[in-house]
Amino acid sequence: MSEFEKLKVVTKYELLKQFRRKRFYGALAITVLVIILIIGLYQGLDLLRRIGIPEQLISQWGPELFAMFVTSMGALAILAAVFFAGDAIASEFESKTGYILFPNPVKRTTIVVGKYLACFIATATIIITAYLISVGALLAFYGQVPVGIIGSLALMLMLACSIISLAFAFSSILKGGMGATIATLLTFMVVFTIISSSLAYAGYDPWFMPDRAGDAVASTYGLPLEQLIGGFGFGGPMMGGMMRASQDPTLSFFVLLAYAVVLFGISILVTKRREMI
Amino acid sequence: MRESILLKGLTRYYNSFLALDNFSLSVKWNEDVALLGPNGAGKTTALKILCGLLRPSAGEAYLAGVNVMEERERAISNVGTILETPEFYQFLTSDETLRYVGRLRGMSGRKLDNRIGEVLKLVRLEKWSNVKIEKFSRGMKQRLALAQAMLHDPPILILDEPSLGLDPRGMMETREILKEARKKKTVFFASHLLTEVAQICKKVAIIDHGKLRAYDDIGRLKKKYRSFERAYLKLTEATI
Repeated sequence: MSEFEKLKVVTKYELLKQFRRKRFYGALAITVLVIILIIGLYQGLDLLRRIGIPEQLISQWGPELFAMFVTSMGALAILAAVFFAGDAIASEFESKTGYILFPNPVKRTTIVVGKYLACFIATATIIITAYLISVGALLAFYGQVPVGIIGSLALMLMLACSIISLAFAFSSILKGGMGATIATLLTFMVVFTIISSSLAYAGYDPWFMPDRAGDAVASTYGLPLEQLIGGFGFGGPMMGGMMRASQDPTLSFFVLLAYAVVLFGISILVTKRREMI
Repeated sequence: MRESILLKGLTRYYNSFLALDNFSLSVKWNEDVALLGPNGAGKTTALKILCGLLRPSAGEAYLAGVNVMEERERAISNVGTILETPEFYQFLTSDETLRYVGRLRGMSGRKLDNRIGEVLKLVRLEKWSNVKIEKFSRGMKQRLALAQAMLHDPPILILDEPSLGLDPRGMMETREILKEARKKKTVFFASHLLTEVAQICKKVAIIDHGKLRAYDDIGRLKKKYRSFERAYLKLTEATI
């Protein structure tokens, strides 16, 4: 039996585990509710006019602005990815299930890759569901779907990949799944944000930070973001610099890819060396 | 290759604690050997090294002539294991769990279906095949652990306290299964229960403080020390 066949088996059963967990359906339900809420607020409160976006921009970029608003739910992708991936490796050691899984003729690398694929598929299911709802709303309200939504989806999936990799790195190093989950959330939502903000305040472009690169999910629609920022009432060189930094979706995609590959590589190396003590 | 299991000068430290001290042992094909010793003697450490879950500080371990450290996957393919008190994925049923490990061991199709039915019947879990493991008791999980160890009909069984957590009936049934298995397989199991060891095995390796104290037929030890219990206490530095 080839290692690829074993990878398919590991992925299948890891995915089955993910789909049997309540947290998958919880994450799916929360995502759907949030998207519906965003759509409802956007349409019901006439949000763009209330926050001062110029009328000319609204009439010119209506579908794109709507798409940007409803697909800017990166935090949900972060949460879903972290909750699926945080305990993926650590739980094998913490819950002792590794005593059944590891003494099998399968490489640890195959096990980690299979777990990663399962976590990614589960996260992608939630993200794609959110985008499909957004597409449905776009068709219903505007009768068209901006092509930029494809790039936004690709970036969101890559953002999920980099977060899963970060969670896997912590999960392979730390003893408990809960610790790995919290460490991933804190790193992504607090540590990275502090570093990015500090760099921006100091006048450096934080294009290489994953949180900043993740912001690019909103910049694939070709919108004139600097004009929009003026409309939001922020302005200033610092904010303009930050938005410009997140405006290159291609660069952001490769930044996220680099984080995903390096962190995933670390998780494989650590898991291969880790002992069942 | 005459030995199914070969341990050569195994040494293992946990920080400064010496768990195994130049431990060597060879088990021939179709022999049944118990690794007997008090808690913390190094039994589980030896079994974990043998299954590739721990690395030795020094020494080598072979399964069916294959070096475990160098070719772990090939070495482990000859073995069925129960280590420590194994836990299972709570969200899977026992049938799904056995199917998962069976597929990883290269089994598939009707052969796997039939074998799953056989081992579940053997450990008396056939009525629980489609129940999620989160509903299983400690003893039922131990039975399932034995089922997965025997699933691919391996020539070598490595078992750590196989009757731990079982009720008296479960213990007796497990012993009967192992007695039957030893006719065709190498059974190497760790225990600190003298009665269990005496019932299942002909040969015993007594380990204490990480060192091999004796490796002999139980009958010969009984003769030399007047009883098996006396042999154990004498060799593990306890007093009667």
